Amino acid sequence: MTTYAFLLDLGRCIGCQACVAACKTGNELSPGVQYIHISEQTRGVFPALQSSIKNHRCYHCADAACVAVCPTGALYKEDGLTRLDASQCSGCAYCVDACPFNVPQLVNGRSNKCDGCAEVVKAGGQPWCVKTCPSNALMYGERETIMAEAHRRAEALRVRYPHAQVYGETQLGGLGVVMVLPDQPEQLDLPANPQIPAVLNTWQNVVQPASVGLLGFSLAFTGLAAIIARRNHKQEVAHLHVQNSAEETAAVQPDHANET
Amino acid sequence: MARTKLQISRRNFLKSSLLSAAALSISSCSAQPLATVLNQNGLRLPWFRTGEIKTTYNYCDMCPWRCGIVVKSVDGQIYKVDGNPADPKSRGMLCARGQAGPSFVYDPDRLRAPMIRTGARGEGKFKEVTWAEALDYTAEKLKITGQAFGPEAVAVFGHTSGDFWFTDYFAQAWGTPNAAKPSSSLCTSPREEAAKLTYGLPIGGHEPVDWDAINCIVLIGSHIGEDARNTVMQDFANAWARGAKVIVVDPRFSNVAAKADYWLPIKPGTDTALLLAWLNVLINEERYDKAYVADWTTGLEALAAHVAPFTPEWAAEITDLPAESIRATARLMADNLPQAAIIPGRHVTWYGNDTQRMRAIYMINALLGAYGREGGIYFSKSPYIEAYPHPPFAVTGSSGGCSAEPGQESAELPLGPTGKARADGARTNFLRGATAMQELIPPMISGEPYPIKALIVYGVNLLNSIPNPQRTIEALKKLDFVLAVDVLPQEHVAWADVVFPEATALERYDELWVVAHKTPYIAMREPAIEPLYDTKPAWWMVRELGLRLGMEPYFRWETAEEYLDARLLSIGSSLDKMRQTNGVIVQQGKPYFEDFAGESPFPTASGKIELYSDELASAGFEPMPTYEPVAEPPAGYFRLLYGRHPVHTFAKTQNTPLLNELYPENELWLNEDEAGRQGITNGQYVWLENQDGARSGPIKVKATQRIRSDAVYMVHGFGQNAPELSRANGQGASDTKLQTTYALDPISGGAGMRVNFVRIVKEV
Ligand code: SF4
Ligand code: SF4
Ligand code: SF4
Ligand code: SF4
Repeated sequence: MTTYAFLLDLGRCIGCQACVAACKTGNELSPGVQYIHISEQTRGVFPALQSSIKNHRCYHCADAACVAVCPTGALYKEDGLTRLDASQCSGCAYCVDACPFNVPQLVNGRSNKCDGCAEVVKAGGQPWCVKTCPSNALMYGERETIMAEAHRRAEALRVRYPHAQVYGETQLGGLGVVMVLPDQPEQLDLPANPQIPAVLNTWQNVVQPASVGLLGFSLAFTGLAAIIARRNHKQEVAHLHVQNSAEETAAVQPDHANET
Repeated sequence: MARTKLQISRRNFLKSSLLSAAALSISSCSAQPLATVLNQNGLRLPWFRTGEIKTTYNYCDMCPWRCGIVVKSVDGQIYKVDGNPADPKSRGMLCARGQAGPSFVYDPDRLRAPMIRTGARGEGKFKEVTWAEALDYTAEKLKITGQAFGPEAVAVFGHTSGDFWFTDYFAQAWGTPNAAKPSSSLCTSPREEAAKLTYGLPIGGHEPVDWDAINCIVLIGSHIGEDARNTVMQDFANAWARGAKVIVVDPRFSNVAAKADYWLPIKPGTDTALLLAWLNVLINEERYDKAYVADWTTGLEALAAHVAPFTPEWAAEITDLPAESIRATARLMADNLPQAAIIPGRHVTWYGNDTQRMRAIYMINALLGAYGREGGIYFSKSPYIEAYPHPPFAVTGSSGGCSAEPGQESAELPLGPTGKARADGARTNFLRGATAMQELIPPMISGEPYPIKALIVYGVNLLNSIPNPQRTIEALKKLDFVLAVDVLPQEHVAWADVVFPEATALERYDELWVVAHKTPYIAMREPAIEPLYDTKPAWWMVRELGLRLGMEPYFRWETAEEYLDARLLSIGSSLDKMRQTNGVIVQQGKPYFEDFAGESPFPTASGKIELYSDELASAGFEPMPTYEPVAEPPAGYFRLLYGRHPVHTFAKTQNTPLLNELYPENELWLNEDEAGRQGITNGQYVWLENQDGARSGPIKVKATQRIRSDAVYMVHGFGQNAPELSRANGQGASDTKLQTTYALDPISGGAGMRVNFVRIVKEV
């Protein structure tokens, strides 16, 4: 089976947000919802400054914590990417808490994140974000090709930035978004060695096998979910806050903007 | 209106666990078609699977760059625009604003029907009328004005990609020389006039930088990536990744400065000193293309003598840059010549001395041997196509705009039917160039040199683009008649007597986009859907007005398709044929010297690049640029700088739902240490007051190391006072409202706007 991946070249990325806008229109995302977040990262003191663009999105981990905790199979791996079938989502939000990169969000009570433009690529197209990126900072293709391109680009980048490197070759079993970094990951707000939260190992070993049988699934689900829910109570309040403000924005959007 | 309901369901997790248990059984039979699963669960099909996709060709109207696009609609609803791969500008990609094209169309705040004013001017009270009423009324008012004061008494201001119909076609057929575009005197006039004075060619709409092979890129104030012109971002990224060296001169650490090999955080207003020092190094150290300079320039000796005193040490004092950096960057350019150039920026109306600064830039490019060389600055060529065969116009146009064609300025200004030339003070207050929009405001107030009594404003955000908006309001109060043609109820629309609601670019045919380029090309615009509401395209409006004003000979064509096909016939094409070539016709260019077979490509008097300008000398100007200090901020004030955000264009897109969501308000970039000294924290809201007491705000402070401490910066176009714009109204601060003054460039008529100062007011 072919494994696909994205290339995200943070050397080239200039923060123009074309990818954000293309993703939002192509996927008809509700007001307040974005799958990509662009922000600036600045280090140093005037005039000795360094700055780069943070390009936050689902990195499609091979060992995906979100998939590991998802009790319904709404999140699953396919072609090397982490897909989301929102129709299967129960809204438990375990993925929200489990993702080491803080990616999935609940929207309309269902998990919501980049699914790698599954429908578009299956129809033979390029993901919306990739198709539009004016800086050619994004690519999509077979993982091997992407990996080779990432190494080629990182090598070329080292002329300018000695610490330029490829990120995502091994992290979390290999990311489906292979990044070319102009600097060390820590400098760019990325963990050098991202880890799946330890508690999730239990989760994966106990709950997932159990979920094959519906009865066992429900029992285990109830107990463990309650624990996780308590642990994350504070975080939940924060999420609620974000969503409420998104709701206010939504109220003034045009009729055509999506609704469900 | 259905609204998005966001809710968290963890509270009901028991219930949802049961639901999901049921859902699990569905997912186990994974062969279910997506549509069925979605429908069962109340989710939507992706738009591209809801029906047959209709594809139409267009060029993007979200900024003046006009990338070619393909528009995808299903059942009369536009869902997506993508770059047209056949288009030399977009090459299949688009910026964020382009992606928001559909969002602009479906902005619920759009003007929906023609309106006639019922309240006082500026009050914003209107009644909706039929098109016939609005057109009859407007035609009557124009007729009365024309009869009493001559057609020249009607001024026409136009911007955005339909401006041709009002600002060019209608204005010239009607007979007013007072047609202006902000893209000239509020933006590019200095660079255009400097280019024509120095080497005889304009820059034109598409800066002719030969990005494919350039090895040293110098940007002065250009903030590529924040200024999100699509092609330039593409070209820059490719050149940069290829290893081209980048020098960025900017008081602010812009996103592109972060990618530069050298960032020169220059003291604002001193750029010409830096340029003179660069010239000094290139000449003194004999680091210029000697053969090229000998063959293709005049005046090197005079220039060498002129710049001899302007050493890097001299400039270091003025610019606040180390002399060594100045020297090193000059050498870096020279090391890469002729694949090195200072990129002609776009908005260059800064300090009123701007034509001279631009001339200094072009002189450096000439010493580097960049013009007509691969990897330097290529020669643009306009595509061949005939104009529509209309009768001669009543007056020759001089509105310019960023699509200016090559050509020499004639010595005499064109006269209108009653013998009056432009009222903007060309030839008296400034030397040359396109009609200066801001200089047409005083005649509306004073009646000098002659009265301007009526104004048609098409797509210009009048009060958020022309400096000294206080003065513009005074003019609006004095005019006999104001027609506003717009898609949105912009701030100035409240001051109109009649409002024509326009169909957006994605809902209409339009004039062809004829682009001077390395590969000259023509792009078409056709509607993807019928115009929403009771809106109409500009071509229809001017035609209906023309028929009511006795201008039938100019409007023998009945539809835009007929007009366009008549033009396309001159190159053996048609709209249908264009569709077969993906909506674009690309022709052969003449980018390099080799293409001129020994002839001079420079249409100057000498046939060469004129380092020393006889033309300027004989008009009483400095024949070579000098450094003139600009006024310093008074104690307690900062120089007000402004620029772009990648998701916004001018004062046009702040209300576009998608773009508003991505960047709803502008921020005040303030040096972090300076903020600390003033007791201001990051994220705090403040007001700004300028040197004349004008106020704007509140605006959120972005306390950052990325800007010098003597200037503040904000993204242009915010702080609009337009209650009908439900999202943009009152968001952020307006740089324009803080520009109560400007410095007129005596050569090009450009309005230098970086001469305003602000102080921070913490509480009002
Ligand atoms: S479109 Fe490309 S350059 Fe622009 S922000 Fe996205 S990844 Fe970066
Ligand atoms: S980044 Fe988060 S959401 Fe994306 S695959 Fe990894 S764990 Fe899942
Ligand atoms: S792959 Fe598709 S869904 Fe994911 S960020 Fe890109 S455009 Fe959005
Ligand atoms: S640069 Fe962006 S907004 Fe401008 S024409 Fe191109 S896609 Fe449209």
